[in-house]
Amino acid sequence: MLRIVLAALAAVSLTSAPVLAQQGPLRIEITDGVIEPLPYALPGFVAETADAGKMAADITSVIAADLSGTGLFREIPQSAHIQRFASFETPVSYADWQAINAQALIVGGVAMSGGKVVVKFRLFDIYSGQQLGEGQQLAASAASWRRLAHKVADVIYSRITGESGYFDSRVVFVSESGPKNARAKRLALADYDGAGLQFLTDSSTIVFAPRFSPTGDKVIYTTYETGFPRIKLLDIANVRASLLPEVPGTMTFAPRFSPDGQWVVYSLEQGGNTDLYKMPVNGGAPVRLTNSPAIETAPSFSPDGARIVFESDRSGTQQLYIMPASGGEPTRISFGEGRYGTPVWSPRGDLVAFTKQHAGRFHIGVMRTDGSEERLLTSSFLDEGPTWSPNGRVIMFTRQSAGAEAVSNLYSVDISGRNLKKVDAVGQASDPAWSPLLP
Amino acid sequence: MPMERADRIGTGVSAALHLGVIAWAIFGGAWIKPKPTDPVTMTEVSVMSEADFAAMMAAAPKATPQTSEAPAQPQAAAETAPTPEVTPEPEVTPEPVPQAPAEPAPETAPDLTELTQPTPPAEVTEVPPEMLQPEIVPPVEVPQDTTSPDFSPRPRPKPAPRVAPTPAEAPAPDAKVSETAVAETRPEEAPEPAPVVEPPKEEAAPPEATTEIVTEAMETEDKPQTSAPLSTPRPRSKPAKPAPEKPAEKTETTSAKPASDKPAKPAAAKPAATKPAAGDAVNDALAEAMAGETEGTGGTGRAPSGPPVTAGEKEALIVDVKACWNVGALSSEALRTTVTVRVAMNPDGKPDIKTIKMVGFEGGSEAAAKQAYEAGRRAIVRCGSDGFPLPSEKYDHWREIEIVFNPEKMRMK
Repeated sequence: MLRIVLAALAAVSLTSAPVLAQQGPLRIEITDGVIEPLPYALPGFVAETADAGKMAADITSVIAADLSGTGLFREIPQSAHIQRFASFETPVSYADWQAINAQALIVGGVAMSGGKVVVKFRLFDIYSGQQLGEGQQLAASAASWRRLAHKVADVIYSRITGESGYFDSRVVFVSESGPKNARAKRLALADYDGAGLQFLTDSSTIVFAPRFSPTGDKVIYTTYETGFPRIKLLDIANVRASLLPEVPGTMTFAPRFSPDGQWVVYSLEQGGNTDLYKMPVNGGAPVRLTNSPAIETAPSFSPDGARIVFESDRSGTQQLYIMPASGGEPTRISFGEGRYGTPVWSPRGDLVAFTKQHAGRFHIGVMRTDGSEERLLTSSFLDEGPTWSPNGRVIMFTRQSAGAEAVSNLYSVDISGRNLKKVDAVGQASDPAWSPLLP
Repeated sequence: MPMERADRIGTGVSAALHLGVIAWAIFGGAWIKPKPTDPVTMTEVSVMSEADFAAMMAAAPKATPQTSEAPAQPQAAAETAPTPEVTPEPEVTPEPVPQAPAEPAPETAPDLTELTQPTPPAEVTEVPPEMLQPEIVPPVEVPQDTTSPDFSPRPRPKPAPRVAPTPAEAPAPDAKVSETAVAETRPEEAPEPAPVVEPPKEEAAPPEATTEIVTEAMETEDKPQTSAPLSTPRPRSKPAKPAPEKPAEKTETTSAKPASDKPAKPAAAKPAATKPAAGDAVNDALAEAMAGETEGTGGTGRAPSGPPVTAGEKEALIVDVKACWNVGALSSEALRTTVTVRVAMNPDGKPDIKTIKMVGFEGGSEAAAKQAYEAGRRAIVRCGSDGFPLPSEKYDHWREIEIVFNPEKMRMK
């Protein structure tokens, strides 16, 4: 009996011990990866009508430029493609695309129908062997083919990265021409990539600091047409502008819309002192937001409209402060070395972009709204005036070179500090302001 | 006589000369000294500086009024010749003249710069390093922290030396101290095998090195493994042989390799069975146990046998996976999301792609987790296509892998 009991115990122990020893799956933690553009393949969109050949090629090239221009994606040259698409419905041979290490594949078709351009496309995840999202079809007038391409790129960008795109947007800025000591400046408008440049004002007066309304159909800016800085509101559709009311004997500048588009916050100089005010866009009494002997300027609303970040030298040096949108005691958020200015609240609400001057260099940087985690993204002789892309992923700003032949250009940089590049298409320019995504 | 005269004359002359020399030496020096002071610096200072200052003073005040007069000078110069004498003055004025009209233009420009930009001085570059730091800091490979816990118990071997030097027979005093620590671990395991096997072991070798050093460090962590390691390490090689026989009976398994691995474990237990060979009943029970184990190994219930995957082998796997984990196209929210992905592995080290699934995430929304999961999935598929560098003899330990993709060091803050 004893032996039987022992045997039974032994059997139980042998069967149960391994179970107890079961550690589950082998577990590892990856905290370090690589950051490199995701390779994608974009075969030329198939022309589904005889007259859509050039349009298909143009749209394909704009989509590729959008995606590759982000620095997040890398196009695999079409010459390396193994599979060819004769039709939009051609089944995807995933092995062929894996062979060239494509991780995403975009297949599309373009047709001309009734004077309109019709674009349809599908996005495939090569390594999961399935379509990513559903196919989509867009149509627009032939003149708006670039917007079609931008919208397709936005959808692809969104599906892969998980955040909204920013390609179908525009930038308003100050276009500059002529020598440095007699430079002509005028407002200009262009696609985010510089295409479709058009001017909103002539060069008879100095203008600067244009800002879009939340709906993107109006621009508010500062003009010297009266000899002193004053704020002017311009309707993009008809290019008509009107001065905002002001108190006699004052100068107003640095305007910016509230997120709901109902208010304009700006700086007002009177008697040598500059404070922040806000007033209804449609007219009304201005509301004073700050009251100190220091210079307060460059206000920017938080996305929820509850707070305002601005710059002030009340501490003796130029620093960033945040206060309630209705005014009140501001809280200083910048404490690093150097001077901080031109703060702009991110559309996501989590970061504030700014210009920093330190040790003879200018930087574009970002910090959290409590001032923590400050990161400088650029460094040059003169970088200033950041503006956020609609998705809060990219910052555009002005970079001016040094010397008598100095020129100003627009640059953009990813908030990671990568993919710094010049916006070539607009020529010499400054003071960019990014619009929201177009409807 | 003439000689006397000559002597007198000579002495007289010499006396006169000597007196003269003495007188010159005495009085002449005093007269001469002040003379050299006259020509020294006084002439240079007084003459040169006054002229210069006069010229400068004359020129300086003239400069400002000349700005207003300057425009008129060209007209006079064209008609009258005497002006050349005044030309040196115009040479000074031309500079201020062009500056005067140039100033008004800059005066308007400063207004712009004051509003839009702080005065831009240009010089040094020190901050770039600050930009690099935040990026460089994250890369610092703390990932070893994940493996470090495996090594953390090492400090415990230190107490081992105390135990080791103690002779085997000195247990009485030492036993009290060591018993408390050892008794907690051993009693649970020892009581069962004790009646069968341990008696001979105690005599042969209370393997001092193994029991004192190895077990103390290992037991605390690997209490459950203490039984497994003894039987697993060697059995592995044997299982391969019996494998083909048993799978042939079951014929349920799809792939041959996993089938060969399954019998490996039962075979691993064989050596254990040989020890208790003394009793038939025990053998039978063991055989039943073994049979039961083989039958039950079809799924997750199978216990890994053999030595566990070492930290180095884990590290090799980590290196392999992270090389394909590309977070470059992830959103900032996805970069704040940690996802845990589980995948079943084939014996050849290749992942079974169909089994890849996300078993958890934290730090972000579901949409962000999906993006982060896709990046992790791509990493597994891409780098696993050629098989991960895993020891085939330890397949039971990695037949299923759980990978935590934590972008903490990759995220954009």
